[in-house]
Amino acid sequence: MTVETTKLSIWAFANPTRFMGFANKAIPMLAIIAIALSAIGLWMSFNAPEDYQQGYTVLIMFIHVPTAWLAMMTYSVMSLSAIGTIVWRHPLADVSLRSAAPLGAMFTFLALATGSLWGKPMWGTWWEWDARMTSVLVLLIIYLGLIALSKAFDEPSEAALPLAVMTLTGFAIIPIIKFSVDWWNTLHQPASVSRFDRPAMGPEFLYPLLIMAFAYMAIFFTLHMMAMRNEILARRIRTMKMSAARKHSAKGAT
Amino acid sequence: MFGEHAGFIIPSYIISFAAILGMTIFIIAQHRSRKTELKRLEDAGVKRRASND
Repeated sequence: MTVETTKLSIWAFANPTRFMGFANKAIPMLAIIAIALSAIGLWMSFNAPEDYQQGYTVLIMFIHVPTAWLAMMTYSVMSLSAIGTIVWRHPLADVSLRSAAPLGAMFTFLALATGSLWGKPMWGTWWEWDARMTSVLVLLIIYLGLIALSKAFDEPSEAALPLAVMTLTGFAIIPIIKFSVDWWNTLHQPASVSRFDRPAMGPEFLYPLLIMAFAYMAIFFTLHMMAMRNEILARRIRTMKMSAARKHSAKGAT
Repeated sequence: MFGEHAGFIIPSYIISFAAILGMTIFIIAQHRSRKTELKRLEDAGVKRRASND
């Protein structure tokens, strides 16, 4: 009985109209959390000591690493949404997938740009075709391809299934990015934070990094919800315009 | 400030801030324009087929 009630309430929430009501309340709260976490994270980052090897350049790590994590997390959110489209054909899952793609492309671009700005003083090169950098570039290309595919159809519902299938196919790049530093020799060091033993990083760097990562996550969820709201509005406008056009042509016929 | 690598650190923060701010402004502007369009259609008496789509 309880399971059935919970199941019903989840599906009721997944209704676009209810989602709009929820989003209107949640977005201001998420935005406040994102701003507060960003302020705390930036304060901690700029008060972190100089690294004994990198000096002040370690400051780039506090924004580069979270953007790289978010580039992969956003794609994972899109893949879960793709499953929602394929299995349940739920329109809100497609709305979520489409709305996340530009955000994922932005985080991936930022990961590449800040990585390049970090690489030049540390490794002496802006770019190297190593496994990590190349696989992240492939992720950016996948994001751009999915954005193009989402705009290639006049009717959004026709694009939903191909978009979901392509998104799930592209998910193969995520483990490649994650494990590229273990599978191949790259300029990047192996995982420093997500390890089975303790992180290979002092707390003076780890805590600002984690707070910045949470700040970026809050930014993502705020912008994602805002973009989903916009996509639902776009579909309502489209439905209304088609309804008006049908009415107009019916009048013309009589 | 930021030592000899300030020329790399400052642009990193500027690019990140500009991209996130730009995306936020774009999404807010898109929301406003769609709300205006929806209001215009509603005022013109256009109705949606279903109330929950």
